[in-house]
Amino acid sequence: MIFWTTLLILHGLLALALLGAITHQTLALWWPVSAPAGSFVARFRAVPGVSYVGAIIVLYVLTFILGAWIYTQYRFTARLALEQLRFFKTVGVFELKEHLATIGLILLPAYWAYWRQPLSQEYASARRSVTLLLALLVWSNFLIGHIVNNARGMGS
Amino acid sequence: MSVSKRIPVFALVFGVGYAVIYVVCTEVNLPLITYHPVTGDIGLLRQPAKTGPVMYWYGWMLTSLVGAVALAACASFLPEGWVQRTITFGCLLAAAYFTFYAVALFVYDRATVELEFLQSRSLSLVAAALTAAILMFMTPRHWHKRLWYGWIWVVPAGAIGVLAYYLAPYFRQ
Repeated sequence: MIFWTTLLILHGLLALALLGAITHQTLALWWPVSAPAGSFVARFRAVPGVSYVGAIIVLYVLTFILGAWIYTQYRFTARLALEQLRFFKTVGVFELKEHLATIGLILLPAYWAYWRQPLSQEYASARRSVTLLLALLVWSNFLIGHIVNNARGMGS
Repeated sequence: MSVSKRIPVFALVFGVGYAVIYVVCTEVNLPLITYHPVTGDIGLLRQPAKTGPVMYWYGWMLTSLVGAVALAACASFLPEGWVQRTITFGCLLAAAYFTFYAVALFVYDRATVELEFLQSRSLSLVAAALTAAILMFMTPRHWHKRLWYGWIWVVPAGAIGVLAYYLAPYFRQ
């Protein structure tokens, strides 16, 4: 049990780092600062988005691999308990999480291609859209992960 | 198509193709492998549960991976216009299919006589294919000259909508 709990904590920490990186990049892309950054929010938006691409891809893949590994344990422990307790909505949102994670993963090649340097104007619109979609998927999965863990998570 | 263009086109078609194949795999249950988490066994294709539950998710991802790589490899050697036409047709087909099938099931549920044929998926698919073909003829030609890279969010977002719809029974219990 300690092994799976450690993996789950690591998965959560990687997800947190990914969440921060993708949120920084998305805000910098969709709401760029025009004047010198003064406030905390403006400084948060003032990061160079390109420098986050590699980190986001690596973090996403690592978080995904850990999540997919933990899923094997979840399937015949936590999920069975959730079904016995008739927590079907919780099971349903976790099913959605696995699909959202997959869709996020398959966006990564395009995300990388559209962020390749030098940044092409031809892909500017697709770059904005794919980054926003990826951010929404990461946020959704982060929140769903917390809901499921709160229902039947570590140590329960 | 130039070499520098092939990477973005490959990435686009990979994402779009994977999303579509993944939705089909989850709905029809077409895993390349089946994982038995209790015993740790991995079996080829779809297998029934042995000891404890089975996991098809890894299998669906692998099936989609093989299909998407094949599609993307083909597309990266085709003219942009052809890729654009194929994706447009695919999207129109999917939208028409879901509309026809939803309407058919709605009518079937409320009909006072037995209309068994309305439950047929192939009937909705044929009607959708015809509709998509007609709509393709009606679209302006300049739409198909260049590839629209926005498909990379439109198709996966649509796939999420369909996947979420399939999970609706969990939220009705």
